Amino acid sequence: MVERIEDLNLPNAVIGRLIKEALPESASVSKEARAAIARAASVFAIFVTSSSTALAHKQNHKTITAKDILQTLTELDFESFVPSLTQDLEVYRKVVKEKKESKASKKDSSTAENANASATAAAAEEPAE
Amino acid sequence: MGEPRSQPPVERPPTAETFLPLSRVRTIMKSSMDTGLITNEVLFLMTKCTELFVRHLAGAAYTEEFSQRPGETLKYEHLSQVVNKNKNLEFLLQIVPQKIRVHQFQEMLRLNRSAGSDDDDDDDDDDDDDEEESESGSESDE
Repeated sequence: MVERIEDLNLPNAVIGRLIKEALPESASVSKEARAAIARAASVFAIFVTSSSTALAHKQNHKTITAKDILQTLTELDFESFVPSLTQDLEVYRKVVKEKKESKASKKDSSTAENANASATAAAAEEPAE
Repeated sequence: MGEPRSQPPVERPPTAETFLPLSRVRTIMKSSMDTGLITNEVLFLMTKCTELFVRHLAGAAYTEEFSQRPGETLKYEHLSQVVNKNKNLEFLLQIVPQKIRVHQFQEMLRLNRSAGSDDDDDDDDDDDDDEEESESGSESDE
């Protein structure tokens, strides 16, 4: 759980980069504005999480799903986020699926070829999980 | 340069990469009391969503203020203004409150007082004297 309130802060550098991306190149951002956006982003994440949780509970689900989040965003008047997030989600699902498949096929082919290599490969892969 | 008006630039190719650290977003999500299990997919989506929000908020605050003259600095005041104006940002009103000058605050207090009962003024007269002294500069504005 959260021990210190700073644990809820998002990294300043990343926030700064995201802001820069959203603004024209010539624009600059005051420190105070960046800190405020970072705080707002944490609160936004908490806000969406708790709203999605409430939505999931209403449907007698214990776990939030991606669908809950997208629906919550619409309800909270952030429906403009939904299309691009849906696309991100599609890409993410594809990547995860491909990873799974390539891993499975790697294991298959390597066991067929030589057991030694697969043993070392598996040993190297496992801790990374 | 040819910037889209009032529409913050949110367009970008979809990606499975995240900029913000997933572990931190997980901590933030967990801080909400009754969050159950957080799947990797949900964590990814929330991270992306938060990134989008950062872009959205910055873009909205900036375009609102400077759509005509890019190259300016985005300041806190622009954020609090955009939070004040947009209904879907209402949840940030206490997080990004509007700043107020001391003499404006004193003015508000005074208006409040005169709007309320006049009998109470007796106790506060001493304070009023102090305020008037400190505000002698602002009076010359009028």
